[in-house]
Amino acid sequence: MSTQRYRELFNRELNRRKLLAYGAAAGAGAAFGPRALTLAQDGTIDTTDWTPETIVAQAGTLEVDTAAECAQVVPLDYEGEVSYWYVGPADSEPQITHDIDAEFWAAFAETYPNITVNITRLTYNDMLDQIRTAALGNAAPMVAKMPILWGVEFAAKGQLQEFGPADAGYPVEEYWPGAMKSVTYDGKTYGVPTNNETMALIWNAALFEEAGLDPDSPPATWDDVVAYSKQIKENTGKDGYGLVARVNAGNTPFRFMPAMWAYGGGALDEAAEAPTYEEIWINNEGSIAALQSHYQMYVTDKSVPTSALTNTQAENQAPFISGSLGMMIAHPAEYAQMNDMAANADEADREIADQVVANMRYGFLPEGPTGRRAVVFGGSNVHVFEPSVVDGGNVDLDAARALIAFSTGPEWSTKLAWVGSNPSNIRGFQTSWMKERLDSIPFLDVTTSMLPYGIPFPVVPESTEIMNIIVPDMLQNALTESMSVEDAANNAASQIEEIRGDGL
Amino acid sequence: MSAITGSQPTTEPPAPEERGPGLAGRIAALPGDIARHWSDYLYILPALGIMLVVIAYPIFYTVRLSFYSTPANLAMDDKIWIGLDNYRRILTSDSFRSVTRNTLEWTVFSTFFAYVIGLGAALVIQREFPGRSIVRGVLLIPWVISYVSAAYIWKWLYHSDYGLINDTLIRLNIVDQNINILDNIHRALPALIIANIWKEFPFAMIMLLAGLQGVPDQLHRAAKVDGAGTWARFWHITMPQLKSVSVVTILLLMLTNLNSFTLVWVMTGGGPAGSTDIWITQIYQLAFGRTRFGVASAYSVILFLIMMALGYFYVKALTRGDAEREGA
Repeated sequence: MSTQRYRELFNRELNRRKLLAYGAAAGAGAAFGPRALTLAQDGTIDTTDWTPETIVAQAGTLEVDTAAECAQVVPLDYEGEVSYWYVGPADSEPQITHDIDAEFWAAFAETYPNITVNITRLTYNDMLDQIRTAALGNAAPMVAKMPILWGVEFAAKGQLQEFGPADAGYPVEEYWPGAMKSVTYDGKTYGVPTNNETMALIWNAALFEEAGLDPDSPPATWDDVVAYSKQIKENTGKDGYGLVARVNAGNTPFRFMPAMWAYGGGALDEAAEAPTYEEIWINNEGSIAALQSHYQMYVTDKSVPTSALTNTQAENQAPFISGSLGMMIAHPAEYAQMNDMAANADEADREIADQVVANMRYGFLPEGPTGRRAVVFGGSNVHVFEPSVVDGGNVDLDAARALIAFSTGPEWSTKLAWVGSNPSNIRGFQTSWMKERLDSIPFLDVTTSMLPYGIPFPVVPESTEIMNIIVPDMLQNALTESMSVEDAANNAASQIEEIRGDGL
Repeated sequence: MSAITGSQPTTEPPAPEERGPGLAGRIAALPGDIARHWSDYLYILPALGIMLVVIAYPIFYTVRLSFYSTPANLAMDDKIWIGLDNYRRILTSDSFRSVTRNTLEWTVFSTFFAYVIGLGAALVIQREFPGRSIVRGVLLIPWVISYVSAAYIWKWLYHSDYGLINDTLIRLNIVDQNINILDNIHRALPALIIANIWKEFPFAMIMLLAGLQGVPDQLHRAAKVDGAGTWARFWHITMPQLKSVSVVTILLLMLTNLNSFTLVWVMTGGGPAGSTDIWITQIYQLAFGRTRFGVASAYSVILFLIMMALGYFYVKALTRGDAEREGA
């Protein structure tokens, strides 16, 4: 299906949705129609009107025929073979994730019965090392779905093919600008977004009340987070904020960078309107202010877990469900996770856990002093490797296109993101499956509303190193008082400068 | 009797004809020796082939890679030759000094205390007492459980907020608030060393127990008759008899500790602020966290040379033990 053909189809659906919205407006007020619109006239996403209300209003307004859409990209009787690596459902994930994964492969086999997919499921912790090694040894798969941060390294090394949404039959406008930024390197597109996720702030309303805070109002600014955390500690003896600062753990930058960006900082200039990734912001005034706020909580106020330096987010869950932690940054899936933990708690702990779940609230991440709100634009992208690094030296491009078209369309990009994420294809937000998710996953509308505030990590090959090592190192240097806050920031800046020259 | 006199060391040098062939003679005889043993070579050929592929080639490749720069934005084929620059940068960097200091502390203290505690445990369980088998079994538990499990057990024991150690100390009124253990730059490494000693001392215990069982009982009895006390017998009989096995045990412990990764990685990831970073975690971080394969290879070569030196002493200790036994 050509890009033009898809744009027409998309516009038709928009018109249909606009009609539905205006119809609803008769009962709900004239303003509702425009609010339900999520695309501006030029086809780009209108992020100014992306709220829990508009998200709920548009869900369930679109019917999708995935097979028909895919047939426009690759004929359904195409015979071929494709190798595919991805982070498969882990044992610890909810059963529904396993079920949907199985359903996906059954549906693909039914749609493309003559395409054989050689599937390799890996764990998140193993995949990066394995795929790096495989690509070095010319044994990479033809197609791989990878977390958003990883792809650029392979693109920079020339190991990925240029491949964008249009190659899978979808116009670029169907994807969030932040997501497209994450697959763009040196002006070229090297993948298709599969799912996008943003986190939110969750808090224990009962603990807020006990500390003398408004139980239904989250901290509006990061300075408020510091103040609330202190107040919770002083008035209840419990930890206020679930700070995470372990090195080499993805959890750390996902929780620290939103504060850094909100204060006007960044690692490079990724938070700028038009980032060049040439400037280093990690020691600018905003970054130092963000670091200082965390220093205040950890060292001065001692209002966060002492174990923050060795903790990952998983270690914050038990204190939260036991009512010993006031607030933390979390995924939409955290609610389901807490419910599971409460259900599995001992009888003695069950009552407390159930109370915490009942008092759990989701809100937007706080703003910075200038009113800026930011969150990490997370998720995954799917990439096609160059034949030269692929096992066998050959890529069945049509089989790859079929698989990518099938998995990144509105239906499966919604279903595969069921528990903890969002569809990459924004038409997915209009489907009945999205409505079902919104109905069954509490607070999904809140976390989804954070998407317009999403900032992808710098799209440079050194990004993994900067985010997983240099940023946490900086935090640890400051929080252990091995260095002053300013020195820790300057040290991080010099490390970033060094790695561009292959330093230690 | 002749057997005894035959093993006495002779004071006179052997006659020239008894010394065996010189180097030239040995070289000349080599083709003949090989031809005589061709079937033996065939037997070991598959093993040699596998070793070449899985050991010799990776070593060669690592050494070669250590002379290249491999920035994250370049494919491996585009790596840049920089000669000894990786070695220069490692050896002159601040991080190398701090990581080396950590590695030495980790290796020396872990080895020393694992050996001392292992020796004490071996001396205890060598004696006959009721329940000895149970005690032996219990003491072996740390050694037989996996490193990952041990790391998680100790991580939760030490946990700065909810750890069992802190909880116990507070309940016993020894402290009134949690002690920050793993999240403190001064306490994290000693805490890891304690966990490592716990994990390793049974190995030393088993090795030394085997050595103790080889100490002739009549020596102890004779010394006792001569009025030697417990300490004198331990110091002048037991320890000299354990010399060979002690050297081997200490060398093996040192090699193991220099190669330790799991305990440190799982418990602290090298943090906080690099206070528990040791050579092997640094190499892993450089290679897989930072994709600096060239620098990581140079680091590995340095570690390899140190290990080879220790390996040399290990083999020498083993062969000296053999020589002593043959001499005896």
